[in-house]
Amino acid sequence: MTRTPRTAAAAALAAVLALSAGCASKTDDGTGGSGKDGDKSTFTIGYSQANNAEPYRAQLNKQLRYFAKQHKNIKLLPIADAEQDNARQVSQVQQFIQQKVDVLIVSPNEPDPLTPAVEQACQAKIPVIILDRDVKTDCYDSFIGGDNYQIGKKAGEAAIKALPDGGNVAEIRGLLSTDPQKQRHKGFADALKGHDDIKVVEQREGKWLQPEGTKIMQQWLQRGTRIDLVYAHNDPMAIGAQSAAAGAGKAKDIDFIGIDGLAIPDGGIRAVQQGKMIATYLYPTGAEEAAETAAALAEGKSVQKKQTLDTTEITKSNAEDVYGRYDMSKKSG
Amino acid sequence: MTSEVPPAPPLLAMRAIAKSFPGVRALKGVDLTVHSGEVVALLGENGAGKSTLMNILAGLHSDYEGVIERDGERVDIHRPKDAARHGIGMIHQELNLVPGLSAAENILLGREPRTSRGTVDRKAMDRRAAALLAGLGLDTPPRRLVKDCRIAEQQLIEVAKALSLNVRVLVMDEPTSALADAEVQRLFTVIRELTAQGVGIVYISHRIEELEAVADSVTVLRDGSHAGHRTMADTTRAELIRLMVGRPLGELFPRRPEQHSDGPVRLQISGLTRPDPSGGPALHGIDLTVRSGEIVGLAGLMGAGRSELLQAVFGAYGPRVRGRFTLDGKPYHPRTPGHAIRRGLALVAEDRKEQSLVLGNTVRFNGSLAALTRYRTAWRTVSRRRERAAVAAQMTHLKVKTPSLESTVSDLSGGNQQKVVLARCLLTEPSVLLMDEPTRGIDVGAKAEIHALMDRLAAQGTAIVAVSSELPELIGMCDRILVLCEGRLTGEFHRDPAHGPPATQESILTAAMARETVTDGDPAAAAGRGTTITDAPGASPRTDGSRDD
Amino acid sequence: MTDTLPEQTQNGSPDVRTRARRLLPWLGSLQSYIGLVLIVAIGIATQGDTFLDQTNLTNAVGNFASRGILAVGVTLVILTAGIDLSVGSLLGFASMASAMMLANHDMPVWQIVPLCMLIGAAFGFVNGVGTSVLRIQSFVMTLAMLSIARGLDRQMSDNQSVGTTVAGPDGKLTENAEAFQSLGTPGHNVGVGFLGPDGVYYPVLAFVVVCVVFHLILSRTAFGRHIYAVGGNPTAARLSGINVTLVVIAVFTLSGMLAGFAGPIDAAYSVSADPQAGNTYELDAIAAAVIGGASLAGGKGTIIGTFVGALILTLLDNVLGLNAVSDNWQLVIKGLIVVVAVVLQRPGLLRTLRHRLTPAEKETAP
Repeated sequence: MTRTPRTAAAAALAAVLALSAGCASKTDDGTGGSGKDGDKSTFTIGYSQANNAEPYRAQLNKQLRYFAKQHKNIKLLPIADAEQDNARQVSQVQQFIQQKVDVLIVSPNEPDPLTPAVEQACQAKIPVIILDRDVKTDCYDSFIGGDNYQIGKKAGEAAIKALPDGGNVAEIRGLLSTDPQKQRHKGFADALKGHDDIKVVEQREGKWLQPEGTKIMQQWLQRGTRIDLVYAHNDPMAIGAQSAAAGAGKAKDIDFIGIDGLAIPDGGIRAVQQGKMIATYLYPTGAEEAAETAAALAEGKSVQKKQTLDTTEITKSNAEDVYGRYDMSKKSG
Repeated sequence: MTSEVPPAPPLLAMRAIAKSFPGVRALKGVDLTVHSGEVVALLGENGAGKSTLMNILAGLHSDYEGVIERDGERVDIHRPKDAARHGIGMIHQELNLVPGLSAAENILLGREPRTSRGTVDRKAMDRRAAALLAGLGLDTPPRRLVKDCRIAEQQLIEVAKALSLNVRVLVMDEPTSALADAEVQRLFTVIRELTAQGVGIVYISHRIEELEAVADSVTVLRDGSHAGHRTMADTTRAELIRLMVGRPLGELFPRRPEQHSDGPVRLQISGLTRPDPSGGPALHGIDLTVRSGEIVGLAGLMGAGRSELLQAVFGAYGPRVRGRFTLDGKPYHPRTPGHAIRRGLALVAEDRKEQSLVLGNTVRFNGSLAALTRYRTAWRTVSRRRERAAVAAQMTHLKVKTPSLESTVSDLSGGNQQKVVLARCLLTEPSVLLMDEPTRGIDVGAKAEIHALMDRLAAQGTAIVAVSSELPELIGMCDRILVLCEGRLTGEFHRDPAHGPPATQESILTAAMARETVTDGDPAAAAGRGTTITDAPGASPRTDGSRDD
Repeated sequence: MTDTLPEQTQNGSPDVRTRARRLLPWLGSLQSYIGLVLIVAIGIATQGDTFLDQTNLTNAVGNFASRGILAVGVTLVILTAGIDLSVGSLLGFASMASAMMLANHDMPVWQIVPLCMLIGAAFGFVNGVGTSVLRIQSFVMTLAMLSIARGLDRQMSDNQSVGTTVAGPDGKLTENAEAFQSLGTPGHNVGVGFLGPDGVYYPVLAFVVVCVVFHLILSRTAFGRHIYAVGGNPTAARLSGINVTLVVIAVFTLSGMLAGFAGPIDAAYSVSADPQAGNTYELDAIAAAVIGGASLAGGKGTIIGTFVGALILTLLDNVLGLNAVSDNWQLVIKGLIVVVAVVLQRPGLLRTLRHRLTPAEKETAP
């Protein structure tokens, strides 16, 4: 935060935010950093998270804490939450550099603003792992992330399978400016190429939000558009749309496909089990891989530069298994 | 443009000016002529059209009928810029200064001198401002913030601002309404200096006695029409009042001649003390007794603690006021205004716009605000029917001129606004009425009506304590007058000489300026406190103002 | 008071003419609905019965209902010349609290809703005390509360969303979860049979009832008058015997209470409580109040106006959505129409226009 506060109000705001950030990181410490061996042979890992308050990222944090503990040689510092603020994340990365962490993991809020900060870490000879979203530089040691294009494509293939006689598809897109949205949209569109009997008849921006999914679906139904399948760029929007269709008594005629597949009670896997969606696609958090890679980097081993994580299609048949594999509620405690 | 060769055409001539607002004909063919070096008083009740006429002159109304001439040449004034170009300046009753800026910045607002680098040349600015202020006999530091200046200083800063614009015609709207007598005198000196330089002044005021001191001629408006023009020397107050109201006015001060200081004691205060940590006037050991049917006046210079005394009794300062109080023989201690109202006190505050009225709301809303619990229904709601009836009765009783009870109170004239404030107080049926400057800034007709009301209330047994800066009003209306100076009582005067020292302007002023004798040995201390505008010993109150001539 | 001058009958017992005169400003105030009329007209013109369909209108209002309820509370605060930026976070907190009460403690709705209101009121009370007693500007105080409540919300939920469709051991919704759906899950109406054959969608009902109740409080009670007085002129209010501190604390508490009331509705609507729920709702709420004529300077505004402002916002969104306007243009058009609506419904606009169009035609001299 190098901005000059112009007014007392701005200064007060800054103070409040700083305070709330302090609280947040403290709690992270309390739940995560129980291994307190001052041993020189353990390496410190700093993780800069884009935004704790997304269920997907909260899950990622939990998994990372869990998997980091599985490696005896590394110790995860309290996770820094950028709260969707680029400037905040840059300064948090710089603080980790100042603390001379042994490995830095960054989930960039946006690619461009974080690029210089990552380069600074690189110049300070700190190994960097980029998790989930890309940066615009090569000066890092490993990128770990899912393949949104592939996920979109698989969702498209599922749609084709679900509509053997063709039909009308509606697409609820994520925040239009975000990269995952673009990839998930493109993959889906590419999969549908050549299937002229399947038409995307409606598409709107749902901003990743569940209530938006509900509202948009209500308006589509009101317009009288015949919809056979709804493809939403994440599970909450799909569930929101499903709830609108259920409210209008049309849920049985429409299939819903989502993405994320979080193993939480309110997540997509459970929704698939309850029959709300026909499928969701696991967007892997990469926490396990990140912890492994960090442990390796700390020991000075070389790692793979780009680790693309495969998705898993989750349907009713495998839902319980996948849930069990990623359920953190019993592992983190 | 301005060649001053006598006999010159008038500096300013407004001829057959007419102006209509939707549904209202505000002006009907009004003439006004101002010669170089002349002070023309513009007189009329509120709503007579004075403000409209002056706003036309200031370019605030784009459409009107009639002709305006400057130095005999016809000029078009339709925007404020036109007025400025023709050397017309206006000082509004509500001062147009930016409180957070310095005196110099206000005087040269929008015309700040620049350095070669384009930044504001503060030194040049301060120099020019200081010169202009000194020309008005003011030694205010140019860098002092306007909000830290006294009202009188602010007034003169406005004058300096107008002069910096090379003003030839200066309109002053009620310039003295917030000034104490001595400060008024200083303003008059400035006016005389301006006229000596050939500036023409249009002077709007309700205080006729002031016009006698400063004006050369007077133009009277009534209901938007030209009611008459007189040279000041050839007219009398009675004639002017008759011209203004269109009917012979009864006595301005209708108080019955005998003194009414023998009723049962309503409010008794002894040893009221209020230290003021925030720097305002403190109060020191004040004793005050008001009886049923009595009107007690409070006199004093600005800052003497008159308003503070009323506010303290009313509970506006909370319970941290020392002293012993009884109300109708029962113990009373100020807590909150709400508590005071429940105990039968009511306060007409000093500044009706700042302290009394919710200007954006209706007459009904403002009238009933303090008495809403009286109209409560079984459902705990306010009975609109009863509320409306009660307010309507007061409006009739006080002869408030308003289109309806639902009219916005800011649309009413000052006198009618003040009556709404009075209605609010009366609806709580007070036994003690505290009135702070009850007739400030309102026209003669409304003044007389409020005086009559005070007399009537007193006759019904209400005890009244009234603060006023106008000595004739105090002397005319009050049974007893207490004089405050620097938070202490310095004199008590009576209507009936049989009761004690008689109330005269001289005796009251002497008591009000007791401080000067107290602090005579230490002029620096006196200058620092500054209750009068000029700290020089030559400052003299208006009533013996001959010294300035 | 005992004077019986002839004028009194004119003011006291209205005859036909005064009644007509009282009706006039009311008719004139219809102008403030012109923005709403405009949007409804566009809706009918472009979508006809699709727009006017009861389900559509219910959905549209239901979608905004929780924000509309926030707007009522914010209106109270704005009337006292304050601002409440925390309502979005308070709604989020209450939404999360309600979902957790349901999911973790299987509490019935009739306990959840009052408890959420209490929680919201407690937060609001703190806002009120900070603003009036500690004299922190309401902007700063509620901005801080925005942050505090959101942080507590996230801490409480561990940043996870909590679903409200809680299934029992038999795989079916629990009785309480079933009941919770009636708070706003689309398609779950309340009062079937009692309130019409299909019942009523609770968020719409709740919003309307809140509007009616607070309209009555503002217009009919002494407390309502005091709110206007405090906002219009706090000094005058104090000298008129009003306890300004108490009024300020009360409006912030009520605003918080309404946010707490709206929380479960939002959770039921989203069939889950998200840790980010209610984010930026305060801006929609303030917008509804201001479009409805509330002045941020205080002392001016009505609940009816806020209701109309909320309808304008949500119906506009609905009309654009039904017409499948692209998302980017929706933003542009929304902004433009809000500006046009506010300008058109400005009081005195017609008068000014009429005046401008007929300059100085009155030649009738002295």
